[in-house]
Amino acid sequence: MIQVLAFYLFAALTIASATLVIMARNPVHSVLWLIVAFFNAAGLMVLVGAEFIAMLLVIVYVGAVAVLFLFVVMMLDIDFAELRAGFVKNFPLGMLIAVVLAAELVLGIGAYRAGSLELGTPDGSAAPLLGKSNIESIGALLYTKYLFLFESAGIILLVAMIGAIVLTHRERKGTRPQIISKQVRRRPEDATVNVKPEVGQGVQL
Amino acid sequence: MVDLSQYLPILIFLAIALGLSAAFVFLPMGVARLTGAHNPDAEKLSEYECGFPAFEDPRSQFDVRFYLVAILFIIFDLEAAFLFPWAVSLDVTGWPGWITMMVFLGELVIGFAYAWKKGALEWE
Repeated sequence: MIQVLAFYLFAALTIASATLVIMARNPVHSVLWLIVAFFNAAGLMVLVGAEFIAMLLVIVYVGAVAVLFLFVVMMLDIDFAELRAGFVKNFPLGMLIAVVLAAELVLGIGAYRAGSLELGTPDGSAAPLLGKSNIESIGALLYTKYLFLFESAGIILLVAMIGAIVLTHRERKGTRPQIISKQVRRRPEDATVNVKPEVGQGVQL
Repeated sequence: MVDLSQYLPILIFLAIALGLSAAFVFLPMGVARLTGAHNPDAEKLSEYECGFPAFEDPRSQFDVRFYLVAILFIIFDLEAAFLFPWAVSLDVTGWPGWITMMVFLGELVIGFAYAWKKGALEWE
């Protein structure tokens, strides 16, 4: 009973906030609604028993991706009134893309329903481990059977990191970075001098 | 469907957090209203903003390096997320699983060394 209530609560809130993402006038509000949608999706994941995916949704999507979106939306110097003026001009193109996506969905689900897609029969090799939590089952599969895919994910992350640095990093002249070894190496004798000025004389440095 | 009663402590903590934060916001307001003099004017109600104009267009040119820091954060965030299932399933995966993760971490250490060497983590 409470599961059903929670499911309809999370599902309704997800759909409502997803609608508000595309209806909100202010793009910053859109991103905030997107965060609400992510949280509710995480709630749905908890309901189906995928706690790890729920945690990933909160940590990665809310914590990192949505913050990046917010960053971009708030930083870019975009005139949103001008963007909205292009709505009518871009409307046919947008509708075309939407129709193509809907057709793909219908085609994919139709092909699956007609039985022409072979998704493989479960042979028990990927079954959840008995008496273990499902995050443990994920780990047991990911780091043995899908080892190669996991390492490829690492390579992709590496490429993304290097790409981001290459694209955005500029060498800056005239910066004065902290050199910790130099700081540590410096002795009091290098930094201070003892002088005994005569009475009435200034200190000559 | 999962047994939701194990999430009851989280719900209780949420309720306590909500109650406490509401108390911290509204209790001082209520106490001030009841004990102090209440005669606001336009100057008093204006936002105090340390000598800056309180309202202006928030969109301005930012340094792209903020973006770079955010992207690097996402990448290392994902890397940390992969560590959780690895850590709890080590008794099942054993040494091969351990070596797998070390190779994965090695790949990201290469990226980290590159970022460090290029000075992407330097500020000023």
